Amino acid sequence: METLSLYVDRDSPVHRVDPISKLLYILAATAIPIILPSLLTAAVVLAISVALLLLGRTFRRVIPLISVIVFVLLTILIIQGLFRAGNVTPLFQLGSLIFYREGLLYAVRISLRVINIMLAFAILILTTKPSDLFETLVRKGLSPRIGYVLSSVLQIIPQMQNTVGTITDAQRSRGMETEGSLAVRLRAFIPLIGPVVMSSLTQTRERSIALEVRGFSAKGKKSFLNEEIQEPYHRFIRWGLLLSIILALVWRVAA
Amino acid sequence: MKKIIVDNLKYRYPSAQELALKGISLEIEKGQFIGVIGPNGAGKSTLCQALVGLVPHFYHGAYGGSVVVGGLEVLKSEISALALKVGLVFQNPFTQVTGAKLTVYDEVAFGLENMGLDRAEMIERIDRALTLLDIYRYKDRNPFDLSGGQMQRLAIASIIAMKPQIIVLDEPTSQLDPQGSEEVFRAVDKLKSEGMTLVMVEHKIEKIAEYADKVALLSGGELVDFDRPIRVFSRPDLERFGVAAPVYTRICRDLKIKDEKTGLYPITLEGAVAAVGSLE
Repeated sequence: METLSLYVDRDSPVHRVDPISKLLYILAATAIPIILPSLLTAAVVLAISVALLLLGRTFRRVIPLISVIVFVLLTILIIQGLFRAGNVTPLFQLGSLIFYREGLLYAVRISLRVINIMLAFAILILTTKPSDLFETLVRKGLSPRIGYVLSSVLQIIPQMQNTVGTITDAQRSRGMETEGSLAVRLRAFIPLIGPVVMSSLTQTRERSIALEVRGFSAKGKKSFLNEEIQEPYHRFIRWGLLLSIILALVWRVAA
Repeated sequence: MKKIIVDNLKYRYPSAQELALKGISLEIEKGQFIGVIGPNGAGKSTLCQALVGLVPHFYHGAYGGSVVVGGLEVLKSEISALALKVGLVFQNPFTQVTGAKLTVYDEVAFGLENMGLDRAEMIERIDRALTLLDIYRYKDRNPFDLSGGQMQRLAIASIIAMKPQIIVLDEPTSQLDPQGSEEVFRAVDKLKSEGMTLVMVEHKIEKIAEYADKVALLSGGELVDFDRPIRVFSRPDLERFGVAAPVYTRICRDLKIKDEKTGLYPITLEGAVAAVGSLE
C-alpha cells in the first residue's frame, strides 16, 4: 500500500532511538547554531546529522531533499554575496559582479542552518514509523483526535488519489479528453472536482461513523497495543541534548 | 432474554419532511439472527443506526419512542457506551478501515485501545477475532491491501474484538463480489453458531431465508411483518412491498409444491428438495 510516509525500514541504532529523543535532536540542531552563530558550530551539527543519517543507512534518501532546496540556497548566496548591507571586503569578481566576504559568510551561515534543520527533520522522518511517532505524542498528551488526523492523512490521501484516478478513468472512458495541453487538462480537471469532493465527503462521514462505533469518542483513558520502549540510553540522549542546549545558552551569555 | 426492545420508534432526519421510521415496535431475543428486508427507503438502515445510537446522537433530528439495547436506553446513552453493547458493520468495507493503522492486527486493536484495555487482554481478543473471521494469516498486511471480502471480515473482526452482545450488519455484502459475499456469510454463520445476537439488512433474500430466525419486513418506514422467514416469504402480497421471495419459493409456488408439515412454500434449497422428494 502506498502511503505518504518517507520512513525507510532498516534495523539501525538510529531507528531504535525513541521519537521524543529525535524531536529533541531537531530542537537542539535548530537552536544551537542560532544560539552560537559561528560557522564551526553549524558545521559540527551538520557533521553529526550526516553521521546519524549514515548510521541509519538513510543518507541516500536525503540527497533528493537537499537538491530541492539547493536553488533557494544558491539564490541566498548570490544575493547576500552581492548586495548585503555591510559588504566591504571583496572576495572575488565575476565580470562586473563583485562578491563580498561578509555577505557570503552570512549566506553560508543561513544555508547551514537551513540544511541542519532539514537534516534533523530527515533523521526523524526517515528513521521513525509515523504510527510510532504519533502514538508516542498521544502518550505524551497530544489529543487522540489530532493524533488520528496526523496518522490517517498519510494513508487516506493516497486513497483519495486512487479515487481521483478511478473517476478520471471513468470520465476518459466516456470520451472526455484528459491528456494534452495545459488548457485541455484544466478543462478536464473542473468536472473532476465535483465527484471527488462528494465521494470524499461521503467517505469521511462513513469513516467518522466507523470511528464512533469503535469507541473513538470514549472519555476514559486510552491504552496502547504496542508497549512503550524505554531503553536506559534514551533518557541519556534526552538529557544530553537538553544539556547541550543549556550549555550553548550559558556559553553565549558568558561570552 | 430480550436483547433489543424497540417501542414505537419514530424518527425524522433533520433535513427531511417525512418520518423515516413510523412507530416501529419489535423485540429481539438473545442469540437470534434477525434479517431485515424491504425496498430502498423502507427505513432499514435508519433502524440499524437507531440500534447503535447513531440515530439520534450522530444524525440528530426528531426522535420519539424508545430503543433499549443490552439493557441500555439508546436515547440516554452515549455512542461510546453503546459501542460496548452493540457493534455496527456497514456497506462500504473501505470506509470502515480507520486509515490510522498500518497492519490488520493494529487495526483490530483500535477499538480496544479506545476501551482502555490492557495489552494482554487486547492480544487475546485480537487473536481470537482474527482466527474466528479466518484472517489471522493477513495480520501483518496493510488493511488497504486486502480484498473487499477480507476487508469486510476485518471490519467484523474489529467489532467482534470489542465483545459486543449484538452485531448489526447493514448490507455488508452489497459492494462485494460473489466470493467476497460468500466469505462474509460464512463469517456471519460462525458468529451465529457462537450464539451472537445478529441483525442483518440484506438484499440477498436466499441468504436471509437460510440463516435468519426471524425476518423484519419494512416498507415506507413501517414494520409490515416480523415473523419466521417461512411466514414472511409466504406472504402473497410480498412483492407489493418491493421484495421478491427466494427463488426456491417462487419455483415451488409456480409448481404448486408446498411443504407437507407447514403447508407453506419452501424458502430454502433444502426445503425445496425435501418438498419435491415428498411428492414421490
